[in-house]
Amino acid sequence: MEGGIVVERVSHVYAQRGRNVHVLDDISLAIRHGQFVALVGPSGSGKTTLLDILSGLVPLQAGDVLVAGRAPHAGRPDTARMFARDALLPWLSAYQNVYFAARTRPGLQEREKAILTLLNEVGLHGFERVYPRQLSQGMRQRVALARTFSLQSAYVFLDEPFGALDAQTKLLLQDKLLALWERFRSTVVLVTHDLGEAVALSDRVIVMSSRPGRILADVTIDLPRPRSVRALQTRREYHEIYSRLWRELERAAGMTPESVGAG
Amino acid sequence: MPASAEWGAASRHFGFIVLGRLALLGIGVAVWEALARTDVVPAAFIGQPSIFLPFLLAHIADGSLLVAIRETLTATLAAFVIGGIAALLTALVLTASPLIKQLVDPFIDAMNALPRVALVPLFIVWFGLGTLSKIVSGISLMYFILLYNTLAGAHSVDPDHIQLARSLGLSRKRIFTSIVVPTAIPAIFAGLRLGLVYTLLGVVTAELIAGGKGLGSQISYYSNTFDANGVFAVLLVLVILSYALARLMTYVEGRLMRWR
Repeated sequence: MEGGIVVERVSHVYAQRGRNVHVLDDISLAIRHGQFVALVGPSGSGKTTLLDILSGLVPLQAGDVLVAGRAPHAGRPDTARMFARDALLPWLSAYQNVYFAARTRPGLQEREKAILTLLNEVGLHGFERVYPRQLSQGMRQRVALARTFSLQSAYVFLDEPFGALDAQTKLLLQDKLLALWERFRSTVVLVTHDLGEAVALSDRVIVMSSRPGRILADVTIDLPRPRSVRALQTRREYHEIYSRLWRELERAAGMTPESVGAG
Repeated sequence: MPASAEWGAASRHFGFIVLGRLALLGIGVAVWEALARTDVVPAAFIGQPSIFLPFLLAHIADGSLLVAIRETLTATLAAFVIGGIAALLTALVLTASPLIKQLVDPFIDAMNALPRVALVPLFIVWFGLGTLSKIVSGISLMYFILLYNTLAGAHSVDPDHIQLARSLGLSRKRIFTSIVVPTAIPAIFAGLRLGLVYTLLGVVTAELIAGGKGLGSQISYYSNTFDANGVFAVLLVLVILSYALARLMTYVEGRLMRWR
């Protein structure tokens, strides 16, 4: 398989206070290049660990992982990672924060112009010289989004990027993310608590169980592209898929509605 | 933004604050003067503003206080620079090598817990009555204050920033220069600000004991001759110097760290 992501029989154990915590159990999945995939599940389902393994931040313990045919390692130019908290450097302006990342990818053409375009696309025109302290949480996460896509990586790993935002800002940024994805056509793996977000953004939603993380369901979302998350909110198909997935979740895991975050 | 609203309120009350502070100062001086004049507290103990203020001006005019100020400030500056550079170099080594840091940590703690002022007589035995023992006394305070602050600053690196740097493929050296150092800068400045004031303290303490020409020696001289007005005149100089140095550091800090 050329390109794409292959995860085969991956298990992972953390040592925590002298006890072994089994976070991932025999996970196998394949993601086609260019696909937008969401990993959902309750806290402790190991979705972030899986993302850490894909981005090479956590070493693989058992099983096999291939990203574009190669084993992952941190700092690969064809992978980009976005964190739950914005991880902006407070001593750098919005522009400089994006530049800080983009300069690690040599050979990008017209980097400065590309950064300004990206900042513009996420709605930060006029805020290029502003420091993170002066920006709201939503605006900081926009900078982080621009930074992630400034790397122009074929594989983008997002960990709860909008988890801390209010509902309105979230919708706005989800649409920005979709627009960036339409432009770059990267393979995206999005970790989220939010089932609504997963359905609205993804081609495919993978539902994981709580500890140890196992795959409970793998559902294709056939809503037409390009999508607008805002417009989807009033669309019947979206809500049908959402409730179908919700029921499937509850049946598969015998979960109470509270154990999976609502969107 | 709350910060700017606060600032707006401060600037609206600016005139009131300045006048209010001057009034407080005036009341303080007036009460002091009254206590001394009415002999409620003997003027021999607390001095008398109407005597030591002219005394102060006269000694500034004839240059004798200026010599003392220069003497004290030169030693302070030397101790600040030498102690500061030594502290930063030590912090660099200890941050680069966690193993060495772990090794020497208890010794640094112990040295820092030691009241350095108590060492001053020993410094005078070792380095004589001259400028050197004053500088060493200043260094003994400056070095540990800045070392502590710098290590704490370097230790406060946000784990998210390290993860980001790793995901970008930055080398250990680049992580140090582009993440650890900028993170530590505010703590380093706090250390420099505090260290400067304490260096002055260290130098003046050595002068109190060793004599010579500095401000501390002047205090020692005036108190030994029961001249409270002389003591207060020199103390006033020290207060102004110390305050000015601290403000200067705050100003430089503000200029260099606009992002805060």
